[in-house]
Amino acid sequence: MEQRMELLPGVWLCGVETRQFKGACLSFSLLRPLRQQEASKNALLANVLMQGCETYPDMQSISLALDQLYGAGMGPLVRKNGEIQTCGFYLSFLEERFAMEGDRILEPMLELLGEILLKPCVQHGAFRSDIVELEKENLISIIASSINDKRSYASKQMLKAMCKDDGFGISRLGEIEDVKAITPETLYAHYKKVLETSPIELFYAGSTPLEQVGACLRKVLRDLPRGTLEPLPFCAMPRRQQVQYLEETMDLTQGKLSMGFTTGVTTKDPLFVPMMVFNALFGGDMTSKLFLNVREKLSLCYYASSGMYGAKGIITVSCGIETANYEKAKQEILSQLEACQRGEISGHELEAAKEAMRSSLVAIPDSTGRMEDYHMFCLLSGFSLDPGQYLQAVQQVTIQDVVTAAKQVSLDTIFFLKGAAQ
Amino acid sequence: MTITKYPALEETLYETVLPNGLPVCVLPKKGFTKKCAYFVTNYGSIDTDFTWQGKQYHTPAGVAHYLEHKMFDLEGRDVMAEFSAMGANPNAFTSYSMTAYYFTCTEHFQDCLELLLTFVSTPYFTQESVEKERGIIAQEIRMYEDSADSQVYEDLFEALYHHHPVRVPIAGTVESIGEITAQTLYDCYGAFYHPANMMLCVVGDVDPQEVAALAEKILPKESLPLPRRDYGPEEPMTCKQVRTRRVMDVAMTTFQMGFKMPWPGFGPQAVRQQMVGDLAAEALMGESSPLYLRLYQQGLIDSSFACGYEDLPGVALLSCGGDSDRPEQVYEAILQEARRIGTEGLDLELFSRLKRSSLGRRYRGLDSMDSTCFRLCSAHFDGDRYLEFPEVYAGIAKEEVETFIKHAVDPEHCAMALVEPRQEED
Repeated sequence: MEQRMELLPGVWLCGVETRQFKGACLSFSLLRPLRQQEASKNALLANVLMQGCETYPDMQSISLALDQLYGAGMGPLVRKNGEIQTCGFYLSFLEERFAMEGDRILEPMLELLGEILLKPCVQHGAFRSDIVELEKENLISIIASSINDKRSYASKQMLKAMCKDDGFGISRLGEIEDVKAITPETLYAHYKKVLETSPIELFYAGSTPLEQVGACLRKVLRDLPRGTLEPLPFCAMPRRQQVQYLEETMDLTQGKLSMGFTTGVTTKDPLFVPMMVFNALFGGDMTSKLFLNVREKLSLCYYASSGMYGAKGIITVSCGIETANYEKAKQEILSQLEACQRGEISGHELEAAKEAMRSSLVAIPDSTGRMEDYHMFCLLSGFSLDPGQYLQAVQQVTIQDVVTAAKQVSLDTIFFLKGAAQ
Repeated sequence: MTITKYPALEETLYETVLPNGLPVCVLPKKGFTKKCAYFVTNYGSIDTDFTWQGKQYHTPAGVAHYLEHKMFDLEGRDVMAEFSAMGANPNAFTSYSMTAYYFTCTEHFQDCLELLLTFVSTPYFTQESVEKERGIIAQEIRMYEDSADSQVYEDLFEALYHHHPVRVPIAGTVESIGEITAQTLYDCYGAFYHPANMMLCVVGDVDPQEVAALAEKILPKESLPLPRRDYGPEEPMTCKQVRTRRVMDVAMTTFQMGFKMPWPGFGPQAVRQQMVGDLAAEALMGESSPLYLRLYQQGLIDSSFACGYEDLPGVALLSCGGDSDRPEQVYEAILQEARRIGTEGLDLELFSRLKRSSLGRRYRGLDSMDSTCFRLCSAHFDGDRYLEFPEVYAGIAKEEVETFIKHAVDPEHCAMALVEPRQEED
């Protein structure tokens, strides 16, 4: 029941009308090609805009406005999907029927979005330098702090190495050096450019008819400049001739192993659905081969799982192990992959994988956040199936299809974050 | 079953207590596909010392969590595989004060619920299976040891408390779990995993009567006495240590600061204090407070900063934490702001906005089945009814929050844990 309408040239609103929830959500995303020279600017932009606008000059006044709107939330949202980076805002707010008689929430929220997006605090043709400098510091510390979560740090380093010649290797928030180089002037010029040249996607889930949300947004966004839109890239990760091995040492008690595989199969490929079933069966959840063998049978680790980046056709595996068990864990992961490639998959394993996918797909309409997430995934990955159609396609996958998919999977890069000798 | 309607929330709660003492509550959600069931025992990591049926027990740290891992074993059956064959997602967690087993599913709800009730009510531990789990749990403990966020939190409890078992990490230590045997697990299971000490809570489009009937059919008929817990001697209001420091591979100093408070006990007053405490934290240093803006603009805190009130049996504290390169200045600023509020009082406009904001966020929280189940259970163990929060909020006065801040923010009752980055050796 998703509806879609064009509000302004290149500005689209999609939505689901539902009265199931106490809270509604709206997301606003500027779509950008993921590029080194602008990744950090895009990440910084949403944060700087959230620091104030003409009507609400600082974050405290924005916060107070949100409190007044029954504890509504509005936060910057920066995503990376394939070689597309999105930059924008996520709004979540109470349905008006739960508020006191006569209190409005939706319209004031959309107006706030418009103000923050289009009427920032500007001085002499640039953003306020105190705000920009502060948000640069904050962004730098967020990027630097990515080292604190060793699991995601290891995955990130692996992807960076795996995709160093590809747009996908660029971090979602860019690099510290890029942030440092940003000035209030360059950021403001960039802001002007992205407003004009980016395709824009909005998504709403809530009880108000989409026509009405659209009408209000048209009003709120009427001053949005529109120019020639920049095209967005999409391509599968090319295969590597020889496996790359990298490692780093830290003072850790548990080592983190991260492995990257190319498949050549993206969301736009007919083999994509079988590949997703393979991923679920290989390392998707607690019934997967990795969980049952690497964790349960051999007690090698606390977690072992795989994930798929559909827009690039990349599968990653990560697990936390004793440094001394590196070879053993790596061999076991690879031998589970080989088992799949040889067709050693039981009907039971296939059904469990499909069940796991089924239950997560049918539950999508139970949460506004999941609907938004699925919608944006489809849109950014060029995936055209709705959850129901996707589910049907999953049900038709056979063991042979999974084996065919597994045979496309080849090891590309291994990154091992190991503990220093104790 | 008792049926309570909450028209303002558009919810209806069904409750009963089975003859074996198990409280059951069901919140039906028409039109949703997902269903969520929590089967919870009022037993957490702090319940290491207790007396039950005339016998005293001193158990090693980490048993509650170890049990959580081992409960999934059922002789001759594979619980995980059975759940996943039904497309359900089972999981479990152990906190300081409770252990929860839960699943979400979209189909086969009755079968999933039966499986949940069966595996949690069937202890099956062999020395061999207990041995095997030790490696996995040790890895899990190692993982927390490498996480600055876990460490800083655990260090704070260690600094704030002299005796209370909250000083010890939830999963225990690699050493303490070395002492756990199959017998330890059976002992603790016996004392804490019987219906009168547990709760069943379901949220989703289900029939409440069927839930209660199934629980009655599967679970033991007997109602056993509750264990008496011992959290050690009464805690003084002073802290064991004022500061703790630890060096790790982190980018910036992470801190957690806690103001120790007298424990309010169980019952509605405790839940009221939770709401007052949350409002106090927001008014003092939350995102819309003048202090937050100032600290943020001075670069003393960033968006990682968070604050709140929490309590556990025998424990209550106002806390805040995040990344900062000057945590001592954050500490000074909080003391100063609390003094200002103490003399000038809170801005009434700000206060009523904060109340409205907290209330709206709690309403929206009911959209999450998992968090609703969790909140219903935890309020029940605290001796309260969660869904009555709108009335409680309505009754909280500004002065109550001011008094709370005045009493809570006392440098004599404060400790701070710091995790600092390694200094580069030149």
